[in-house]
Amino acid sequence: MKETKNAAAVETASKKDGAKAMDAKLKTRKLRTAVGAVVFVGMAAGLIAGVSMGTLSGFGWDTFSLLCPLGALGTMIATKTMIPRAVVSLLLIAALVLVFGRAFCSWLCPTMLIDRVRDFFRSPKKRRELAEKKNSQIKAVSQQEIEGLKAAKAGHACGACGKCQPVKHGKVDSRHAVLGGALLSTAIFGFPVFCLVCPVGLSFATVLVIWRAFAHGDATIGLILIPAMLVIELVVLRKWCSNFCPLSALMNLVGRFSRTFVPVINDEKCLETARATSCSKCAEACEADINIRHPEFGLRTMADCTRCRNCVDVCPTKAITMPIFVGKKAGKTVVEIPEPVMDDDLRPSLD
Amino acid sequence: MILEEEESMAEEKKEGAAATSADVAEAKRTPGGGITRRGLFIGVGSTAVLLGLGGLRYAGHNPINRPPGGTDEAHLVSGCIRCERCYEACPRQAIVPAKIEDGLLGMRSPMLDFNTGNYCDFCYEENGGVPLCVQVCPTEALELPADYTVGNPETGETGDIIIGTAEIDPRTCLAYRLTGCRDCYDACNYGAIELKDEGGANPIPYVVEDKCNGCGACQAVCLSLSSGSIKSSERAIVVRPIQG
Repeated sequence: MKETKNAAAVETASKKDGAKAMDAKLKTRKLRTAVGAVVFVGMAAGLIAGVSMGTLSGFGWDTFSLLCPLGALGTMIATKTMIPRAVVSLLLIAALVLVFGRAFCSWLCPTMLIDRVRDFFRSPKKRRELAEKKNSQIKAVSQQEIEGLKAAKAGHACGACGKCQPVKHGKVDSRHAVLGGALLSTAIFGFPVFCLVCPVGLSFATVLVIWRAFAHGDATIGLILIPAMLVIELVVLRKWCSNFCPLSALMNLVGRFSRTFVPVINDEKCLETARATSCSKCAEACEADINIRHPEFGLRTMADCTRCRNCVDVCPTKAITMPIFVGKKAGKTVVEIPEPVMDDDLRPSLD
Repeated sequence: MILEEEESMAEEKKEGAAATSADVAEAKRTPGGGITRRGLFIGVGSTAVLLGLGGLRYAGHNPINRPPGGTDEAHLVSGCIRCERCYEACPRQAIVPAKIEDGLLGMRSPMLDFNTGNYCDFCYEENGGVPLCVQVCPTEALELPADYTVGNPETGETGDIIIGTAEIDPRTCLAYRLTGCRDCYDACNYGAIELKDEGGANPIPYVVEDKCNGCGACQAVCLSLSSGSIKSSERAIVVRPIQG
């Protein structure tokens, strides 16, 4: 009884100050923003001051460099030659992605910073609206599943009602098509086409073009065009990272084999499995559009985990951890309801 | 009874949300496949855009002075991923990103800009004649043959690496206005500029093309725009890239 009261308290508390409370909980997010900002500012300053350490497209010093994997692939396809440094970079990056998944996306990528800036300038009202929309959407999924399972328990065949039929995830999605298109165009026209519009490159180019305008009076259309391309990609095209980015597609191809630092849910602590209470805060907080509790209902799968730790931070019962090694694939398809303590006043509602 | 009512309300809410947002449609299951209609649209659309961008290859761009090892224009365009490492590596900050005005294809690719007063010494002073831009280029877009010599300012040898050739515009050159200016002649390390009427009252410089390796020292010092009150878009002596 005490436990159920606790759950109810958590539920109401989270409802009251919704988005705000969630933001406050995301401690790692602040750290990630800081890490990303320091790296970006450092590299941009190096670019301006002429300190040879490269940018995120090709980090390194002297003859060593860690190249962007898409750039490395592109340049080799375009020149039709094996380039030793590009091959070494590809292998290094593959190893990194195997261990850390798409961590680049949530810890280093400048688009993450641009997103934060956008968040900052959003009106509180708009922010609340967005949070509420995502909340209702994800709550609906978890409630659907719990309802379906209850119905199944009552003797109604689960599959028949169609309520808990999951989204079928293909092995590829729209990003892989963009990746294919980029490589196809590179092969046909013989130059790394995507590099022209890559948001990572454009972010650094924006700094450089602005700097040159001030320091050298170098006025160019690029002053408008380069930031404009960034805005088109990140603002006009919705969900660049989950739907368009070919780099994220490339990392997804390797990331799906990663078994390290993947978030796992302790079912004994999770509100949904332990108490049959629809919560799904983890799915709401996920920046990679993964529904970690109900993986089959998310837009993306664990292959896209960016190790952002939002789910770990936001979980009201601290049920999610990111162990160094996860033996089997994390995340169950269907929540199994243990004999739950079902009070009617505990019934989850949508708002 | 209460339960039923609540459920129908939930359904209604869900449907209301679905009508207003494409995201919900996405979260809903797609029959029989992994890729949604929106996904297909994104994939096809982006591929078309990227193929269109690829077509820029045929649009070409204005000839650009490339850093050492970048004179094979086709190879440079194929290899360059715009990682910007050569800009950083250049000890004289002579390498700058090419502008959009010179062509979309070349945008942000490396270009030598001598108008800022910097020129290329092939890193003779800084790195013993191994150009740092070539050394750091991770994709071998800037690439030199296994065996080469660079311009040697001490002996005055021109070297194998030719960036371009200097060209004097008599209409804007101050020396042609009998000012006695011979800054470019003084700047050239390779004897590529000689003077007509040397020792006379009005020496006039001309370029010895065989000796010029396009290092840009002459363009870097040219005063025509800053002190000649001449209306022109470029200096009186400029390095022109070698075509083909």
